[in-house]
Amino acid sequence: MSANIENPNLTAAKSRERQQTSQERWKQRLSALAPLWTLLALALFFSLASDSFLRPVNLNNILAQISTLAILGTGVTFVLLTGEIDLSIAAVVTLTGVLSAHLYANLELPEPWPLLAGLGVATLLGLISGVATTKFRIPSFMSTLAMSLIASGLAIFISRGRIVFEISELSTFLGSGRIGGQDGIRVLVIVAALSLLAGFLVLRYTRFGRYVYMTGANKSAARLAGVNTDLIIIIVLGIGGFTAGLAGIVNMGRLGSAQPQQIQSFLIDAIGAVVLGGTSLTGGRGGIPQTVIGLLIYGTLRNGLDNIASIDSFLKEFITGLVLLVALIVNVVFSGKADRDRTSG
Amino acid sequence: MSSPPIIELKNISKRFRTLQALDSVDFDLREGEVHALVGENGAGKSTLMRILAGIYTEYEGEYFLNGERMQLHSPKDALLRGIGMIHQELSVIPDLSVAENVFLGDQPTTPWGKIDWKKMNAVAYEELARLGFEIDVRRPLREYSLGIQQVVEVLRVILSGARVLIMDEPTSALSPAEVARLLELVGQLRRDNRSIIYISHFLEEVMQVADRITVLRDGKKVATVAREETEMGRLISLILGREANATLPPAVEVPDHDHVMLRVKDLTADVFSDVNLVVDVGEIVGLYGAIGAGHFDVARAIFGMYRVDSGSITVDGHTFPLNHSAQYAIRHGVAYATESRRKSLFMDEPNYKNISLPHLARIAPVVPDVNREVEIARRAMEMVNVQPPNPLNPVGKLSGGNQQKVAIARWLTFPPKIFVTSEPTRGMDVGAKSEVLGILRNMRNEGYGVLVVSSEPETVLSIADRVVVMSHGRIVARMENTNLDKETLMRMI
Repeated sequence: MSANIENPNLTAAKSRERQQTSQERWKQRLSALAPLWTLLALALFFSLASDSFLRPVNLNNILAQISTLAILGTGVTFVLLTGEIDLSIAAVVTLTGVLSAHLYANLELPEPWPLLAGLGVATLLGLISGVATTKFRIPSFMSTLAMSLIASGLAIFISRGRIVFEISELSTFLGSGRIGGQDGIRVLVIVAALSLLAGFLVLRYTRFGRYVYMTGANKSAARLAGVNTDLIIIIVLGIGGFTAGLAGIVNMGRLGSAQPQQIQSFLIDAIGAVVLGGTSLTGGRGGIPQTVIGLLIYGTLRNGLDNIASIDSFLKEFITGLVLLVALIVNVVFSGKADRDRTSG
Repeated sequence: MSSPPIIELKNISKRFRTLQALDSVDFDLREGEVHALVGENGAGKSTLMRILAGIYTEYEGEYFLNGERMQLHSPKDALLRGIGMIHQELSVIPDLSVAENVFLGDQPTTPWGKIDWKKMNAVAYEELARLGFEIDVRRPLREYSLGIQQVVEVLRVILSGARVLIMDEPTSALSPAEVARLLELVGQLRRDNRSIIYISHFLEEVMQVADRITVLRDGKKVATVAREETEMGRLISLILGREANATLPPAVEVPDHDHVMLRVKDLTADVFSDVNLVVDVGEIVGLYGAIGAGHFDVARAIFGMYRVDSGSITVDGHTFPLNHSAQYAIRHGVAYATESRRKSLFMDEPNYKNISLPHLARIAPVVPDVNREVEIARRAMEMVNVQPPNPLNPVGKLSGGNQQKVAIARWLTFPPKIFVTSEPTRGMDVGAKSEVLGILRNMRNEGYGVLVVSSEPETVLSIADRVVVMSHGRIVARMENTNLDKETLMRMI
């Protein structure tokens, strides 16, 4: 092709091609926003179907409801971008709460040590999953599943199965405090926003962030360019552990107690929200902006269903699942990811 | 040769957006003939083949099968009508037995509906033996060589009723001995009165095996010639559309070398042992071996991507620790381009990200500056003449030759001391090939050491100053590249 570059027909063809690609680029941009359309459609639907949905109080509620999920989602985004998965987050949330409450209430460690210990252990568990995944070649699906059992087992052991009601003021502040009086902004929301922002900056602007994307996009290519993909995966699972720990502390403060029973929905919701936003489970595609949209879709859906009085409350979970599935399908169809090549996938 | 055609294509045209992939091409295939399709990359071979195999179902023109006009709807439809395709990448299942692979998806059953293992094994054995391969069909297929796996795939397609076989680059991954066997197999199939469309880059094979040869260029049919009425030189000029001067440019004068750039000493791992290798400053050494000889793994070991048991690697006087990391190798002046571009490049990512990645730590320790990266990429792409030279385009949109240039360009920003490249010209057309070889020669002339690892004798002979031959994990010969020819090399492995 390059040999006949002077050929005028070819030049014409090239400019045509350029036009088409700019058209194509627009199409791509629109379809890349499929999750955003889903969000708008849901928001529109609920604001028409319910009077209370659009009230500022309720919108604030949505933010508060998805804040814990947002902290978890930050870490999950990192993990999914490398093409790995972390199934231990819900258990680590529980363990961190129970552990720091135990250190505070029963061993009477001064603040902030119980919280730091909780975060440290959560991060450590993530790093251990990472080492098991990379150095011992155990798929993260299995290593983090085992870690999930370890973490929830530890939580039950430490608490002897009992709920700890005495929790530190710091975690109460983080989980249910407000800045600026009674109607001020919730600290919880700020923590979530900061964690998303930090995740965004790291992923978008740092060398480490680039390595995360490249590891997920094509692991062998990353290795051949000298990227230490094992280290990246270990760090990323460490980050996943850390955010799960942070979510655990915030969640404990929100609930006002540390409960040894796992909240299973955290796992499904966090991964669901991130994937719904458009971050690929196979790695390399997506990011924090996508996760934000995914979180909002999730929040809108959950909250919206609560705002429609006529829905049988025993049906809500079913409807949530159904809408999730449809939304995921819509994402795939609109983003043109449905594969032409029938031999792949 | 006056038998009526089984397949006849008339006036076939196919467009992809702005690209006219095929332009009024006629093609016909007679009973019991091997009809080769040749042409440079992008000439339209694959498109034509996909139309023939029912993969592309939308095109202009007419498709006749046994004299009847018809429209294929899918590859399965094509197979039902007796047209089967052997893809370049095999679709065998390595963990199933040979016999199971032969009957994949269509196992014979007993009247009770159970799989009839006895019959399956017996038929598979007989059929393979008839083609000249007496092997234990109950063993898993992965225990056999790629050549055998290919034979199994061919047999499966035949047993599903194909009279016409489309073979896409069937020999590209085979060793010379396996190639010879495959060509025999093709001959056997022709004697069985099957018809074969044979697509290949290797003109020597084509001249050996084809009855007729159709040459495509820029989507048009240039000529269909009978094998006995043509010869290599004429074929090459038909393919290139100009008179071919010698197939590849000759090597230039070797500069004086008095300085060792790379020294590999007694390197031993599972697939190779006691490998000793020296590359001087300003020298291109060709490491040649059949596929499976272990030479590709030696290259990986030098870069730190293959675990070795003992031995040492020294670059420019500095000895690496055993099993160093790739990052370590890069920092100490080793560059490496693998034989698989798909493995080494991020096809969906822009060129600049592909180019900057190996040196990102040096370009930007914490926060990458995209403008600077793009600038660096632009300069690197200009150095090797990537077309089009846009650093923001995804590398996957480039042609194979240009992708390879990107794979090389990424190492030029911080010039390496030793450049190791496996199969630098695999799957490229003649033009791209000579460009890439020219780049390697430039690197040599600028004083790098270059190690070209290849299983294609032509590549090694056309570029190397010295040739080292590996066979079954050991170095068996070291020679200056003067008066060497293909036969000499092939006899050594």
